[in-house]
This record gives sequence, structure tokens and C-alpha cells, in this order.
Amino acid sequence: MKIKFTWKIWLWIAVFILALISIFITPTFLQKGVIIREISQNSSALEQGLKLGDVITNINGQEIKNVEDFLKAVQEKENTNEKVKTIITTKKAEYTIFSDQPLGISVSNLPTSNLKLGLDLAGGSRAFIEAEDHKLTKQEVDDLAQIIENRLNVFGVSDMKIIPVSDLFGNSRLSIEIAGATPSTIKNLISQQGKFEAKIGNETVFTGGKSDLSVTRMGSGVIVENAVQSSSGYFSKFYFPVTLSQTAAEKQAEITSKLEVNSTSEGNYLSKKLDLYLDDKLIDSLLISENLKGVVTTQIQISGSGSGATAEEAEEAAQNEMKNLQTILITGSLPFKLKVVKFDNISPTLGGGFVKYLFLAGGIALTLVAITVFFRYRNKSAIAPLIICTSEIIITLGVSSFMKWDLDLMAIAGILAAIGTGVDDQIVVLDEANQKGNSLSMKQKIKNAFTIVLGAYFTSVASLLPLVLVGGGLLKGFVLTTVTGITLGVLITRPAFADIVRLLQKENAS
Amino acid sequence: MDKQNFKEKFAKFHDKNYKILLLIPLALLIFSVIYLTSFYMQHNDFFYKDISLTGGTTITINDENLNSLELKEFLSSKLGDFNLRQISDLMTKKQIAIIVEIKNSECNEAEIQQTKTILENYLKYSLIEGENSTVECTGSTFSKDFYKQLGVAILIAFFLMSIVVFLQFKSFIPSLAVIYSAVADILMALVVINIFKIPLSTAGIVAFLMLIGYSVDTDILLMNKVLKREGKSINQMIWGSFKTGITMTLTSIVAVLAALLIVSSFSSILFQIFLIMLLGLLFDIVNTWITNVSISKWYALSKEKKKNEN
Repeated sequence: MKIKFTWKIWLWIAVFILALISIFITPTFLQKGVIIREISQNSSALEQGLKLGDVITNINGQEIKNVEDFLKAVQEKENTNEKVKTIITTKKAEYTIFSDQPLGISVSNLPTSNLKLGLDLAGGSRAFIEAEDHKLTKQEVDDLAQIIENRLNVFGVSDMKIIPVSDLFGNSRLSIEIAGATPSTIKNLISQQGKFEAKIGNETVFTGGKSDLSVTRMGSGVIVENAVQSSSGYFSKFYFPVTLSQTAAEKQAEITSKLEVNSTSEGNYLSKKLDLYLDDKLIDSLLISENLKGVVTTQIQISGSGSGATAEEAEEAAQNEMKNLQTILITGSLPFKLKVVKFDNISPTLGGGFVKYLFLAGGIALTLVAITVFFRYRNKSAIAPLIICTSEIIITLGVSSFMKWDLDLMAIAGILAAIGTGVDDQIVVLDEANQKGNSLSMKQKIKNAFTIVLGAYFTSVASLLPLVLVGGGLLKGFVLTTVTGITLGVLITRPAFADIVRLLQKENAS
Repeated sequence: MDKQNFKEKFAKFHDKNYKILLLIPLALLIFSVIYLTSFYMQHNDFFYKDISLTGGTTITINDENLNSLELKEFLSSKLGDFNLRQISDLMTKKQIAIIVEIKNSECNEAEIQQTKTILENYLKYSLIEGENSTVECTGSTFSKDFYKQLGVAILIAFFLMSIVVFLQFKSFIPSLAVIYSAVADILMALVVINIFKIPLSTAGIVAFLMLIGYSVDTDILLMNKVLKREGKSINQMIWGSFKTGITMTLTSIVAVLAALLIVSSFSSILFQIFLIMLLGLLFDIVNTWITNVSISKWYALSKEKKKNEN
């Protein structure tokens, strides 16, 4: 049998191949190794220059192909308490780490596709924030996005998406998405105004932000104390040094020079304390030693505390509070009070199996469709919907990975919707083409089929498009994939399918 | 021969009774409208809303051994409008987590902390976000806003869709019939959802919009065929389009039903979407192959009559 493909069929095949490329040819295609997803802040790996996204191929001469290999190689090291040498080879360079600490790196297998799972499948957090008692302008939302991105960066979050969104009613909000497991402190970090003030009495000595101070984030002087028990659980204090600007230090000297000295059994201190406020809430009061009276000193210590039900929790809370406070001191305060209006937090454990079951559902549904179509036509055309639909799914996924859209649950619902429409359209084309007993030419028959297909297409698009505007794009994923799916169907797969049907008919006739 | 005989008999029956057949969908429609009106009077809304539309706080406690009934009893005196759900593993059916939903609250950190403390008192351990629990919230003001926007979007959707349909047929009655069928599918499916007291989520509302696409294609097919007959009889064209259209609807129903059964255990969102589509598709059989067949026949015949009179 000799079938000459038309250009429409070739176009379909070409797009299909492009889609496969777009999905499966990743930047690390055919490579072996593991990719770095997280590095702890004070690890020697970070100091040595390892970065997020680096691909580790070898540790101490052992080839690393997957996460298991990596864990095995690392575990051998971590069982000893002495300083050990670890040689890590990445694609770009070789790093030698000499430490008695755990490596502080977490890795994942190299991605096998470019598909990006959305928050509800991959896990992560999303917050919508807006200003309290104030309608944000476009400019303000953009500025806000900058500051919050900065904060999250300083805090150590790298995999995030911050998008200003506006909705049907003209409200501007900020949408923040953070992939993976997210500590609860993030919620504070993005919604806190972060107005930090250090006061002696009623006088402000200095505030947060670069103009007044610079923060020491690790090293000497940065301390989280062992937790102590109190009446309501445990609490733990933290300290870290900051360097005041000359102006701020002079102001402090001027204020302290007017204070008296109180003698206590624990030492001599000035009559007033240095009170630290965050968003008008007192977080700590520091005694000022008598020898600082009237002295211009740029080195001072900031402190605070965390509490919890166990000692461990309290220390962890203190650690987080400290990081939070440091971040806010570095990045400064926001010009208005914010509030979170929506916060979603999806645990990543749900995701993996989920996608598998969705594919199962899709496969079974398609097979049943093929069986139904077989009962109707009782010939091999029953496989047509299977082939065409699979290609349509792949083409839509190809577009979605090329455009870097997130595949969330609603987007998958959208793909399913588009496939359903695809099957319907194919049945229309098949029935029109197989019509007997009238004098219409094949071309006319296909044209009739397309009148119906296009009519339904435009009606569907018209009914879906308004959803894009709702609620700052919460349903955008759904609309984009559905409309992409049915548009590609109408433009590429349907014409190709019609040509295939035409060719098959011609072959049958001859 | 038998088949041919049946077809002829049925055609005769239909020719005689097609106007009377309209009473069936009319009764359904009247019931739906009355039901929804009284529902609206009672609830001040057209359906029950779930937490994604009312706003509220969801606390997921990852605890395999937590007894949901005991927890429910404990909470009933301490929390306002709340709801408990259980999440289980897909394969082993073992409990993974318990979800506590509190409706109609704002995303208020102090309030959430209060709820957490109540839960912690029962659990006897502390809830650490990201470790043994997750907390989500949607401010009810935000949700109300979102809900209103969905309403506006649905109105715009129907408006745009009507324009597209009118442009296709350029005559009033066929266009109206196509639009009517979409509206009727939605209304009737909604009545069933309400009867079973299923609270709708955002995804559910989107599913109703998806229904438009599935509903109109069979109607557009039918109207196209009956209006552009090319020498065949009306009954022949209706029969032809019925064969095509019912295959379309049946394939969709089969696919949706299979998907519905599979996802029911692990995604309440997808379950709702498929359930609504299934209901809509079932009603579409009535609204297309009884209602619109009769309307199109009536319309085509009366047009023919006019033509002959001239």
C-alpha cells in the first residue's frame, strides 16, 4: 500500500516531534548525575563554591548516577566524627571539602522531562497578599514584588515565583509561589511590614534597613542559646551582632550620655534599656552596660527569643526567628501593612503517586472510548481516536513545557476537556466523510464537517476566555491548556485527520 | 428488515408526536426552575459552597492514628462552622491525615493560632507546619470577591457564546435552541448536585462552564444538518445526526465515568469536575435529542410550509 502524505499530515508529524523534543530534551538530556536542590547556609559546600543546580557526577571516585548513589557516598562520610575529605566532581569543576559536618546538600535525580508540575502536584506554598486598608496601585505592587523577592533571597529561598496580578474588579495583589516544602516562617516573611525600631525610652536610636546598620549573619557572636524551661514550655534566646552606621552610633551616644547609672548585684547598667520593636511589638529589651554611656560605638548586639513545647522546638524556633529578624533588618521595612488573603500549602508527598493515577485514568478512559468507537464503526478506524488523542495530549504538553506553564490539577482537567472535544470532532469528521447516498464530493463533506467543528470550537473558546480574568489568574492554567489543546486540535490534528480519512477512502475506492 | 420496520414506525410516531414529546423536557425545566428558585429563597444562593468559595481555614494533621469521630466530638463545642475530612492512601486505604476545615474566616494569624491551640490540646503534641501539619487559609472577603468574579465571568461567557452562536446560524430560533440546551444542561445538573447536597468548589463552577463546550457541539451538529438538508428528508438528517451525536455523547460519558471512578479516591476536585460533566452529558441527551430535535423539526417544517404557500 502506498499512501502519499499531504502537507497537513506532515505538519502534524512535525509538530508532534517538536512537542516530544520540547518535553523530553532537557538541559541535562542523556547525562548521568544528581542535581543540587538545596545547600545549607553555613555549609562548607557553599563556601567552596557549589551552587544550586550544579550536577554532581562523582564523589570520591564513586560515580553518582542517582540519589541512592549519592546517599550511599555521603552516608559513608557522615558516620565518622573526624574531619574527612570529600571530593565532589560536578560537570564544571572539582571541589574538595574538608569538614566534620554533614555536607548540607540535598539533591534530586536529573529531571527526565521539561514538564513543570504545578503547586498542587509538586507541593509548595502560594500566598496572595494585599495591603491592609489601602488599594495597591500597579507601581506599588511592582515595588512590593521587588522587596519581597529580596527578602526571600536573603532568607535563602531560591525556587519561587512572584507575580503581580490584577483581577476583573481592578484589584492588584501579589501572588507568591514557593516550590517544595516551606517553613511556616515564610508566611511571616512575606506578610510582615517589618518595621524595626530600636528605642531608648521614647527616642528612636536606629531602624532597620541598610542606611542605619549592617547585619552579621553567621560566625562569631551569632548565638542560639540552649533552651531553658519556663512555666509554659521551653524558650531559647538568640543573639547576633550588627554594625551601626556612624550617624546611628552617634545618636545612641547622645541619648545614653543623658542616662543615669543604676547599680545592681549583677553589674552596673544605665537607667533605661534599649527596646527593640518589630511592627510596634516589643521583641526584646537589652540592658546597656555603664561603660557605654555616651560612647560612640558601632558594634552592638541584637537579641530575641523563640519558644516551643520541647527544647528542640524552642531552639529551632529561635533559629528561625533570628533568621527572620536578620532578613528584615537587611531588607528594610515595607511602606504599608500587608495581609495574606489566601495561603495554600500543599505537601509534596501527595504529588508523585497522583500523576501516575492520572495517567492511568487517562489511559483507561481513552481505551474505553476506542471500544465505544469500535462498536459503532466495527472497523479499524476505532484506533484513530487513540492515536490522534495521544498525539494531542503530547502536543499540548509540548506547548506547555515550551511555554514553561505549570501543570496543575486544573490544567490537567483542561487537557482532559480538550481531548473529549477532540474525540467528538473526529467522530463528526468520520461520519461526514462516510456519508453515503448523496452526491457531495469528499471535499464538500470534509468542509461540512469543519463547519460543525469550527462552530463548536469558537463557542467553547468564547465560553472559556472570560475565566482568565477571574481572581488574578487562579484559573489561567485551566483556560490556557484547554484553549491551547482545542486550538491545536482544530488547526493541526483535525485537518491531518481529515486528510488521513480522505486518503484511506481513496485507497478503499481504488 | 425488522430494523427498517422499526425505523419507519418510529419515524411515524415521531412525526405525529414530536410536539407532545416537548412536554418531557418542559416538565424537567419547570421542575428545575421551581426547585432552584425555592433553593435560592432558602439559602440566598443557587448552591451549597465549599471552603474554596466561602473562605476559611484548612488545617491538615498528618496523623495515621487520629480518630476523626472523637476529634469531631471534641471540636463540636469549641469551633464554629467546621468540617472534618479523612485522607487515605490510594492503595492501602490507610489513613494518612485528617483535615479540619473552618468556614468563613479571614486569614488571620492570631485566629489560626487559636484554632491550632485547641487542636493541640486534644492532640497532646504541638503542630509544626511543614512537619506534622499544614495550614491553609483563604480570607472570606477574598473568596466573596472571587465568587462574584466567577459570576461575572459566567455572564460574559454566556454573552460571548451567544454572539458566536448567532453569527453561525444567523437565524433566531436555531441559535436560541443551541443556547437553551447549554443552559438547560447546566440548570438540570445543578439541581441534582443540590439534591445530593454537594457543596460546589471553584473547580465545580469551572466544570459547569466546560459543560457549555460539550453541550453545544451536538446541538450545532443537529442544527447544521437540519437547516442545510441538501435534498434529504428532515427525518433522514435527524437520524444521521443522532447517530453521530449520540456516539459523541456516549464516548464522552464512557470516558468521564471511567475517570470519575478512578479519581474518586484521591482527588475531590477532579471528582467534582467529572461528576458535573457526567450529569450534564446525561441531561444533554434529553435536551438535544428530545428538545432540540423537536424544535428543529418544527422550525424546518414551518419554514417549508411558508415556502410552499408562497
